[in-house]
Amino acid sequence: MTKKLPVELDGAEKWEVQLRKGSLELAVLASLWDGKLYGLEILRRLENDSDLTVAEGTVYPLLSRLKALGLIESEWVESDSGHPRKYYWLTSPGRQRALEMARIWRRFSASLSDLLGPLEKEKR
Amino acid sequence: MAKRLRGLSDQDSSDVVKEIRSHILDKAAMEGEVTPGSVASALADLGSPEELASQYLTDDLLSRAQVSGSPWLVLQSLFRWASLSFVGLSMLTFSVIGYFLAGSFALCALLKPIHAQTAGLWLLPDPEDTYSFSLWLGFSSPPAHGRELLGWWIVPLGLVFAMGLVLFTFHLGLWSIRKFWRPLRVA
Repeated sequence: MTKKLPVELDGAEKWEVQLRKGSLELAVLASLWDGKLYGLEILRRLENDSDLTVAEGTVYPLLSRLKALGLIESEWVESDSGHPRKYYWLTSPGRQRALEMARIWRRFSASLSDLLGPLEKEKR
Repeated sequence: MAKRLRGLSDQDSSDVVKEIRSHILDKAAMEGEVTPGSVASALADLGSPEELASQYLTDDLLSRAQVSGSPWLVLQSLFRWASLSFVGLSMLTFSVIGYFLAGSFALCALLKPIHAQTAGLWLLPDPEDTYSFSLWLGFSSPPAHGRELLGWWIVPLGLVFAMGLVLFTFHLGLWSIRKFWRPLRVA
């Protein structure tokens, strides 16, 4: 007799957190595609354009790591608000990395969509 | 925060503090005037200084280990990872065992010319009628009823094996860090 496993109610939520974690680097690189942004602008861009709500203390260490890897650059710029802001932009390897990650993401998403087709019909 | 960032260079540490300060001021000003309340709220959204500093140190170590490929930095990263997760602790254990074994073989090979009769890889009979291997550095008398297996071959073989083991352990550590370590948090 097969033992029935209890359904883990928060399993899908845990999976979503892992998915978001995995996509954060791509999301940050993509947010810088059109030009220079500072930390808070990146956070807002992620929230507004991707529904990716990031713990604020997370994005700065990540930016620091991406910079150490040579994928982004930064500079301090004086602002009207009275304090300088650190602006980030993509380097050439960073643009390459973003394009490559986006290509992988699209390919993976498309192939998974085919598999998920029957589930969508079931939902209707 | 600056105190907790020891491990980063002075320049990096002051840069981090300046950026966090800038973020707090921007965030606090979003709702109009900057007040002690809005600053406190911005601070709370950033999380605890300990956790934030820890993430900086972790990410800094991780990126430096990945870029430089230095065995010392990889080992340092593994120590940090070990303090954060069971997987990290397991990888650190593997690495420590790997480096210890490599060091033992190298030491045994180097000591063979000094302790020619005793240093080497020995096969030892034990009471349960099975055999076990023992690496003998030669500082004491040879094991009773034991048989040395490699003789002078321990010198080249020991050194080659030690070098191979160091390379394997280093690359395993670096690979595991790249593959499994996800220091990021998402709300």
